[in-house]
Amino acid sequence: MNTAWLQYTPLRVASFLAPGDRRAEWFQEWRSELWYIPRRGAMRFCLGAFRDALWLRRNNLSSVQSVRIHLESPLHCLVFLATLAALSAFIALRLPAPEGLTPASHLRPLDLPLGCVAMLIYTGLLLPTTRLVMGRAPANSQPRPWPGRLRRGIFLALKIALVQPVMLCGFLVLAAIGAVPLAPLGVCAAWILTLRWVLIDQRRRCPVCLRVLGNPVRIGSPSQTFLEWYGAESICSRGHGLMQIPEVSTSYSGTGQWLRLGRSWSSLFSTTAGARR
Amino acid sequence: MADGPRLSHTSAMILQALGIGHIYGYTVMEATGLPSGTVYPALRRLERDQLIRSHWERQSLADVALRPPRKYYKLTRSGEAALEASRKRYPLLAKLVPAEEVEDA
Repeated sequence: MNTAWLQYTPLRVASFLAPGDRRAEWFQEWRSELWYIPRRGAMRFCLGAFRDALWLRRNNLSSVQSVRIHLESPLHCLVFLATLAALSAFIALRLPAPEGLTPASHLRPLDLPLGCVAMLIYTGLLLPTTRLVMGRAPANSQPRPWPGRLRRGIFLALKIALVQPVMLCGFLVLAAIGAVPLAPLGVCAAWILTLRWVLIDQRRRCPVCLRVLGNPVRIGSPSQTFLEWYGAESICSRGHGLMQIPEVSTSYSGTGQWLRLGRSWSSLFSTTAGARR
Repeated sequence: MADGPRLSHTSAMILQALGIGHIYGYTVMEATGLPSGTVYPALRRLERDQLIRSHWERQSLADVALRPPRKYYKLTRSGEAALEASRKRYPLLAKLVPAEEVEDA
């Protein structure tokens, strides 16, 4: 009788991959379907739930929007990362030294910047590979002035610098709980995921004001288009332009495109028109 | 540019299964022989493309049958058109997912 919860365990684990606002309904549907599945095929059936949950996460535009509201402004994003970095540094300094690794009792405050610099060098090695795996950034057909490019570069560099204490803290936590053999592997995986987030966040921002693009709408349909792109289109809340991200990268649609909006659109963004450059 | 919806073979099989009365996920799986990891994301994709629509069974009906409520899928008008086009495009579709297997539509 106690096997019911065991049967639902894979579904519960998979449900964490589904976006929060649709998780309950997603789980209800899979649990309902599982009720009809013969016991011998239940596990195989449940494995499909992971793929379905991942699909739902990738294609759920509303959850992406709600998460990004908090990090919409570049300043908010940097403040958030700085707070996280300070908290991580505090935790790292408070952690006990791992047994058998170093005789020192605690990490000294001076070691922290050195550790972060070492992590930064490692990041410098990982960054080109991560960028290569992620593909080219969305194309911008119109030339951007150098101050804008510089500001964008500084923003990216600050984000990368601020995630280093978080990564270092994660490494020390793994070492402190005794998972030393796993620490390099875990940190490497977390590193790649964090860098990936930093780059994705960078690509989903307006190249002009660096605010996260919002109001995503789906354009086209995979089953109804021929030689036309389909995917999501997001807009800058200040009216600087549109970002078109194709769902599938093709030779004719590439990895994405930034379309700058002309002055004729400014009336649609009247409340923020003054902020436009 | 396109003269009608163009579906993949998998999507066409799922539409065919729905079209002949397999109206929930598990029976679509059984009818098509496709695994759950293919069928459920495909159903969501078809629903997103407005080729099918879904609705939950009323709790009271499920309670009477002593089972959890199910989510039912149904072809929309454009889904029916897409299925018709797919049947022309894939002549073996009707043989791959035959209609006589339906029990409880």
